[in-house]
Amino acid sequence: MLWIKNGIVIDPKNGIDGEKMDIFVKDGKIVEESEVNKNECQVIDANNKLVLAGGVDMHAHIAGSKINTGRTMRPEEMRIVRQTAGKLRASMGRVLLTSPAIGYEYAKIGYTTAVEAASPPIGSPHTHEELDAIPVVDKAALPVFGNWHPVFKFTAEKDREKLKAFIAWALERTKGFGVKVVNPGGVEAWMYGGNVRSLDDEVPNFGVTPREIITELVKANEELNLPHSVHLHCNNLGVPGNYQTTIETMKLVSGMKNDDRQVLHVTHVQFNAYAGSSWRDVASGAEEIAKVVNSMDNVTIDMGQPIFGHATAMTGDAPFQFTLHKLTGARWSNKDSEIEGGAGIVPIVYLPKNPVHALQWAIGLELGLLVDSDKVVLSTDYPNGGPYTEYPYIMAMLMSKRMREKELERVSPYVQKATSLAAIDVEKTLYEVVQMTRSLPARVLGLENKGHLGVGADADIAIYNINPAEVDPSAQYDVINAEFRRPVYTIKGGEVVVRDGAIVAETWGRTYWVDARKKVDMQAIDEDLNSFFEYYSVERRNYGVDDYWMRSPERLEVN
Amino acid sequence: MLILKPKFEFEVSVEAELTPDLAEKGLEEIRSFKVWYGKLEKSLEELFEIEMQGDEKKLVLDGDFSKVKWIGAGMSEGEIVVKGNVGANCGAYMKGGRIVIEGNADDWLGAEMKDGEIVVKGNAKNLIGCAYYGDVTGMQGGGITIEGNAGNYIGEKMAGGVIEIKGSAGDFIGTEMKGGEIVIHGDCGFVGGDMKGGIIKIGGNFDLLPTFRKAEDGWVGDVLVNGEGKIVKI
Ligand SMILES: [Zn+2]
Repeated sequence: MLWIKNGIVIDPKNGIDGEKMDIFVKDGKIVEESEVNKNECQVIDANNKLVLAGGVDMHAHIAGSKINTGRTMRPEEMRIVRQTAGKLRASMGRVLLTSPAIGYEYAKIGYTTAVEAASPPIGSPHTHEELDAIPVVDKAALPVFGNWHPVFKFTAEKDREKLKAFIAWALERTKGFGVKVVNPGGVEAWMYGGNVRSLDDEVPNFGVTPREIITELVKANEELNLPHSVHLHCNNLGVPGNYQTTIETMKLVSGMKNDDRQVLHVTHVQFNAYAGSSWRDVASGAEEIAKVVNSMDNVTIDMGQPIFGHATAMTGDAPFQFTLHKLTGARWSNKDSEIEGGAGIVPIVYLPKNPVHALQWAIGLELGLLVDSDKVVLSTDYPNGGPYTEYPYIMAMLMSKRMREKELERVSPYVQKATSLAAIDVEKTLYEVVQMTRSLPARVLGLENKGHLGVGADADIAIYNINPAEVDPSAQYDVINAEFRRPVYTIKGGEVVVRDGAIVAETWGRTYWVDARKKVDMQAIDEDLNSFFEYYSVERRNYGVDDYWMRSPERLEVN
Repeated sequence: MLILKPKFEFEVSVEAELTPDLAEKGLEEIRSFKVWYGKLEKSLEELFEIEMQGDEKKLVLDGDFSKVKWIGAGMSEGEIVVKGNVGANCGAYMKGGRIVIEGNADDWLGAEMKDGEIVVKGNAKNLIGCAYYGDVTGMQGGGITIEGNAGNYIGEKMAGGVIEIKGSAGDFIGTEMKGGEIVIHGDCGFVGGDMKGGIIKIGGNFDLLPTFRKAEDGWVGDVLVNGEGKIVKI
C-alpha cells in the first residue's frame, strides 16, 4: 500500500489541474482513502512535486523483427553501454536499445505503457518473445492488416462479416491488440516493384483500392467495437505533396461516430504532412492538416517528431524504405512477411543544417502546436523520428516559444521559408502536455485504466520535481526539459521502480491482447483459412501465439 | 613516467583504456584505475606492477601486453611505449600524442584515429586505421608506420592521414577509401575496392581490380562508385 502525500496533481481525464491532493494505492490500483490502512502504507512525500499518471507511448517500435534486424545491421548502435549487469540486467544501445534498455529507459522518463505499432503477423511469436524481454512497462502489439491477402479478398468480395471474423481470428492468433494498417495496398504492389500513389490506385491482382481497404477495415473495426480504432500509416509516406492524400484519407471517416474514442487514428503524421511537388520545393502542409483534424471529432493523430541526431527508419512501408535507401545511400534491409506485408530498415541521422531534416523537425512541432491537445499525441515514432528518451525535449518545446526561438537559430533557414513554426505563438500548458502524453494516448488506445489517476486506475504514477505553481514552462524550459528526464519516482503497478532518475527495481508488465471472437461467426471463414494456408509456409495449427508462450498475457474481451 | 608490468600471464583479455593522462594522476587513483579482466572488473594494481619515475606524461608498458586491448584509446597527448607486443584496438580514436610499439600489434590498430602517431617496430595484423563495423569513416588524420608486415583490410573507409607499411600487406587494401594515403613498400593483394578518393602507393606486386582505368602515372577508380582514388607504383 502506498500513500502519496500532498502532491500537485494534473489529471486531465478527471479534470484535475494542479490540485494539491493525496493518492492511495492498494494491490496495484488507485483506491479511495478509506480502502487503505494508513499505518501500513509506505508514505511518499510529494510535497511541491508534480504527480502524473505514467506516460503512455501508443506508437513505438520496440519488439519484433524490425528492431531486431535494425540491431543486427547497426553494430555501431550496440557500442553504447548504458548499464553493466549487476542487480539489474545489462542494457545498451545508442538509439536502437536492447530489450532491457527499452523498459528501463521508459521508466526513467516516467512512462509505464508502450505499444509496438507494427507487428508482422507471421513474426508474432518473435514479437511476443521480445515484448516479454522488456521489463517494467505494460505492452501491446498491433498486427498489420493493410496488405494481408485475406483482407484484400474479403474487401473485394464486400463481405464484411468475413472480414470481421478474420480480424477476430488474427487478433487471437497473433495475440494482437488492434488493427494496424501500413500503406494499404502499397506494400503488396511493392512485391512487384511498385507502389500505390493515390487512394484510388488498384492493388495488383486484387482489384481493390486503398480507399476501399481503409473504409472496410474502419467499418469492420467499429462493428467489432474494438478498444482501439484503426491505426493508420497513410499512403504516400515521405513524398512531397502527400498532405493532400492524408487529408483525403481522414475525410473517409466523415460522419462515422464512436462516443468513446476516435474511429481513425492517423499515425506519425509529420511524415505525411508535406506540401510541394518535389524535394526542391517541399514545404509544410501541417496547417492544412491541423485544420482538418481540429474540425473532425472522430480522428486523432500522433506527431512522429524527428529529433536531431541518430535514428533508424523502420516501417512496414517497404517501398518507402527502398526510396529512402536510394535517397540517402544508407544501408537497407528489406523484410518480407509472406502474404501479410513487408518492411524495411534504413539508418538515418537528422542534421539541423540539412534543409529537409530541419523541415521535418519543424513540421512535427507545428502539428503538436496547431492541433488541439485532445487530438494529437506526442510521439517520435521511435526509432524512426528518434529516441523516445527525448520526449522531455518535445514537451519543453511545445510549452516554450523562447526555447523554439533558440532552437530555430541552429537549424537550416529553409524552415523559415517553408513552415510557419517561427510565427506560431502557441505555448501548450502543462495540463495540455499531460493530455498529449497520458490521458489522450490512453483514450486513443481504449485502455480505461491507463493515463489517469482516478479510483480504479492502474497505479502507474510518475512524480517529478516540478512545482506548477512556481515553474513557468515558457521561461524555465530548461527545468521542464531536465526534470521530465529524471522523475523523483516512477511507480509501476504500485511498485517503486525509479527513484531520483535511477532504476531501483525491475518489475514485469502485462501484454494486452484483444479477443473479439464472441462477436463473430468463426466458422464462416474456416474454408477461407484452409485455402489461405495452402499457400503458406507455416501450417495452420502451428500459426500464431498461444497464451502459455507469453510471460504475462492479459486478455481483453470485446462484448 | 608511469611504468606498468603485468603481474602474471593473462589467461583472458584485459580491457584497459590506458592513456598517458594516467601518468599525471595521484598514485592512489592510478592503483584503483578500473580495468576489465575478462568479465571481472579489477583495479589496475591487481593486474600490474606500478612504478612512477618523474612526472613526464609518458606510459611505459613493459612486458607482454598482447592480451591487453584498448591501450591509448582516445588519447590526445603524451607518449606510450610498449616494450613488447600489444593487443587489439591500440590507439583507436586517438586524437594526438605518440605510441611506439617495440613488438607486434594486433587488429584494429589506430581505428578511427583523428591525429597523432603510431609506430610499430614489428608486424601488425588486420584492419589498421579502419572504421569500426557500422561506422562510415575510418582513420581521418595522423600517421601509422609499420616497420614489418601487415594483414588484411588496411585503411578501410579511411578519409585522411597516412598509413605506411615497410614490409608487405595482405588483401583488400584501402577498400571504400575516401582520402588520405596508404604506402606499401612490399607486396599486397587486391587494392582500392569501391575506393572514392585518396592514394595508394605500392612498391611490390599487387592485384588490380578491373574497375580501375589507366591514368598517366597509375590507375584511377573505382569506376563502380565513380571514384577518383589513385593507385600508383613506387
Ligand atoms: Zn511507426
